[in-house]
Amino acid sequence: MVRDLFTFAGFNENTQIVWFTIVYSKEPGALSSIIDFLEAENASILYGNLDNIAQEAGQYSVYTELKKDINPEEFAQKIKSLGVVSEVEYGISEYRMVHSVNFPLYVVGVRGVIARALTIVDIIKTLYQNAPHAEGLLTISGLKGGIHSAKFFKSIMPLDDSNYASVIGELYRGVGWGILEIECDPKTYEGKVIVKDSFIADTYGPSDQPVCAFMSGYFAGYLTDYFGKAISVREVSCKATGKKHCEHIISLAPSGGTGLEYQVRGDTRDKAT
Amino acid sequence: MIKQPNVILGNDELLVTMGRKGDLLGFFYPRRDYAQHVDESVACIYIDGKLLWTNESDWHSIQNYIEDTNIVSTKIYHDSGIRISILDLVHPDVPVLIRRFKVQSQKKISGKFFYYSNFNVGEISNKNSGFCDSDAHLLVQYRQNYYIGIQSLPEFTEWQIGKAMDTIWWTNSKYDMEDGKLQRNKEDIGNINNAAGWDLELEANGANEFVILIGAAASRNLLYKRMYELSKMSLEYIFEKTREYWVMWLSKKKVLKMPGLEGYDNLRQELFSAYNRSLLTLHLLQDCEYGSFVAAPEFDPNFEKCGGYGFCWNRDAAEIVLALKHSGYPEYCDMFFKWSIRTQLPDGSWFQRYWLNGDIAPSWGNFDYSTQIDETGSTLYAMDIYYRILEGLKKVEFLEGVWVSVLRAAEYLMKRTKSGLHESCMDLWETYYGIFTYTNASIYAGLIGASHIAEENGEDGMARRWRKRAEFVKQATIDRLWLQEGYFAKGILNEKLDKTVDASILSAYIPFGMLSPKDPVEKDMILFMIENIRKKLSVPINQSYGIKRYENDSYIEGNPWVVTTLWLSEAMFALALDLPREIEERYDETVNKLTSEGIKYLKCVLAGATSTGLLPEQMDKSTGKPAWAVPLGWSESLMLDNILLLDKICTKKAGSAEQS
Repeated sequence: MVRDLFTFAGFNENTQIVWFTIVYSKEPGALSSIIDFLEAENASILYGNLDNIAQEAGQYSVYTELKKDINPEEFAQKIKSLGVVSEVEYGISEYRMVHSVNFPLYVVGVRGVIARALTIVDIIKTLYQNAPHAEGLLTISGLKGGIHSAKFFKSIMPLDDSNYASVIGELYRGVGWGILEIECDPKTYEGKVIVKDSFIADTYGPSDQPVCAFMSGYFAGYLTDYFGKAISVREVSCKATGKKHCEHIISLAPSGGTGLEYQVRGDTRDKAT
Repeated sequence: MIKQPNVILGNDELLVTMGRKGDLLGFFYPRRDYAQHVDESVACIYIDGKLLWTNESDWHSIQNYIEDTNIVSTKIYHDSGIRISILDLVHPDVPVLIRRFKVQSQKKISGKFFYYSNFNVGEISNKNSGFCDSDAHLLVQYRQNYYIGIQSLPEFTEWQIGKAMDTIWWTNSKYDMEDGKLQRNKEDIGNINNAAGWDLELEANGANEFVILIGAAASRNLLYKRMYELSKMSLEYIFEKTREYWVMWLSKKKVLKMPGLEGYDNLRQELFSAYNRSLLTLHLLQDCEYGSFVAAPEFDPNFEKCGGYGFCWNRDAAEIVLALKHSGYPEYCDMFFKWSIRTQLPDGSWFQRYWLNGDIAPSWGNFDYSTQIDETGSTLYAMDIYYRILEGLKKVEFLEGVWVSVLRAAEYLMKRTKSGLHESCMDLWETYYGIFTYTNASIYAGLIGASHIAEENGEDGMARRWRKRAEFVKQATIDRLWLQEGYFAKGILNEKLDKTVDASILSAYIPFGMLSPKDPVEKDMILFMIENIRKKLSVPINQSYGIKRYENDSYIEGNPWVVTTLWLSEAMFALALDLPREIEERYDETVNKLTSEGIKYLKCVLAGATSTGLLPEQMDKSTGKPAWAVPLGWSESLMLDNILLLDKICTKKAGSAEQS
């Protein structure tokens, strides 16, 4: 069953996308009363789905477009005050990562697909097990995706130091890749990305080495395009190796060539770890 | 990723394959089969903050050879109004590819011209080293005793030696180009790529030229010397020297006349061009040190969709050297048979396929049941055909050199044909196990050839014994495999007669001559076979028909093949020449029909060539365009055979007309 599906749609500074998960009693007319309420409050319903097969209570997940001046917390409370509703959760998609589910899907401005995490991780695992330079290959693949995303975001909204991190964070959450915490100093280009529940690390299984090079590449591509400087991102801690979260270190890529330390895999990389 | 070339060029030590937009696909040095040093090598323009890769889809191209040479002209056009004329040639004496890029633009542009290469020196991506000698203005990548170097005129002003596939992606030369300037890293190791850059400042309708030399050598010292010496020569001088070399090489060919083809639009000229192109191509497929040939320049080295083509098959090479001999180049026979003597297996047979130096190649034919006996038959047959044209001392010398090999091969064939038909083995398509018409015909021809050589060597007993067995093979093939429907069965598979129509049954006539048109019954058999093949295997393409290998062929979409199409046309042309006038009713009508029908198939193949005239193994069954394995030596050799036969027909006809 498809739930909580986010794909990136665009940016509108006058509205916000707010999703609600509403648990309601299954008495006749209960759902109608919720929908009537949303209509009465001018909450434009973009997409919703019902999950009332296996539960005593029904669950309605709905994505709405609300005016910017509406407080989502207050709106959620209003929903909760309806007699048929027992619980309400909500979340905000500040950068409109919501799209009605039409065919084909669009993610970050281009065609997307939904896949099991294992499907992608099997590809990654096959590369690690069989391809020379698998880590580099995944880095380069991720890099391309990150560059594309940054370019796309810049084309549809003002991307600046105040929002570049939350935009990619929302994207990661929206497509189910993981929950991001990004700290990066835009002056020194140094910082880190914590990835909680990385779909790669979660699905890969135990590993001696970090396995999220694709994500490192993605962050590198995104930040490189955003900052306009070559940015190095390297995973120094990975959930697949038994750590609590994955951690990727951000730094400015050295200029003026490769440098001996990279050829022999010495200083710089050790410093990063 | 499998990429088919559109053009090839080279000299004795270097073979280069390129795509239709001038991107290098293969750089084989020092042999045609090993080592292939390039993964990617392509020019790129940086303007307005973007890279325009010249092998991408927004460029349109026109590519052809400079007439009668292996010099290539590629013109590519970008939607933005930029046009690049690329001239590619390989110096005739040294393994250096010279590439002249003339960049023109309708609008004023300011940017960079980059030349990017991802070399896998020694055919391996790892354990490479790369450096830029900024004093010598030379980019070098090397591994063991393989050195590849890039030099330019004017000298490049910036460069990068980087990691082609690594987590430290910002050193990657390909990404380094993205911001329009290169980092000038001087050396690195591992999986390396490189880029060279020049300023590109063009006024509207202005032009800039960049000459890039890509050379190979077995040592650093030699590479430096070669590149230095070449860089002192003008492009005009090298171009003229190279053009002259090819024109001179081609001047040895048997001259065609082709009288009487005026009614066929431009066909006469097309055939002259195709004849020259096949000759020039076959020369590039031959290893001049060993005398062997690659079936085609390798394009699937990982055997992803096939078993690879960058090896020497005796079956293909035997037909190639005979075609070259007929065309005026007998020396290729001499070299190939010397190679064959050296590579013959202890049991007297030849292996499925070899590296060009004679080492056995990766194979799925390692056992008696999986070997291909026809390769031994073909080799013996070709040895005798060559022997027959020799004269005087050469004839004596050849016989002396080849006799033991003939003896061993003939005895191998005797061992495998005790009951007439050959023992079970693999077919020529390398797909089926069993007993096959084609293989039996090749054995017949091999034993007849061996018998002739034995006679010449004074071994009458052996000659009789081998001839008798040849006749036994022929009779058994006719008795067991000829069908009432009027064709030979493909063979016997799993002890059952397989009645699939297979174009290779034509081999009973062409090339192996087991059936003779001089015999009225056998002549009818040949005509019946031709008709059945046309009926069952024709695929409509190129305003004519191509012939697929056999019914229900599924290899690479079951396309029509050039080889099978040209077998059919060759059979028609040969029959037109071989038909005995005295016993043939309506002789002229039959000859004319065979000729005109054969020409239709020939034209189909001409239309299925690349824009540069190279013949593939297959033509796409939907578009008629080249589909697989470009250029295939076997296809090229059959083109020569066809043209030579048609020339004979035309000349004979013109002679008759003159007499009457």
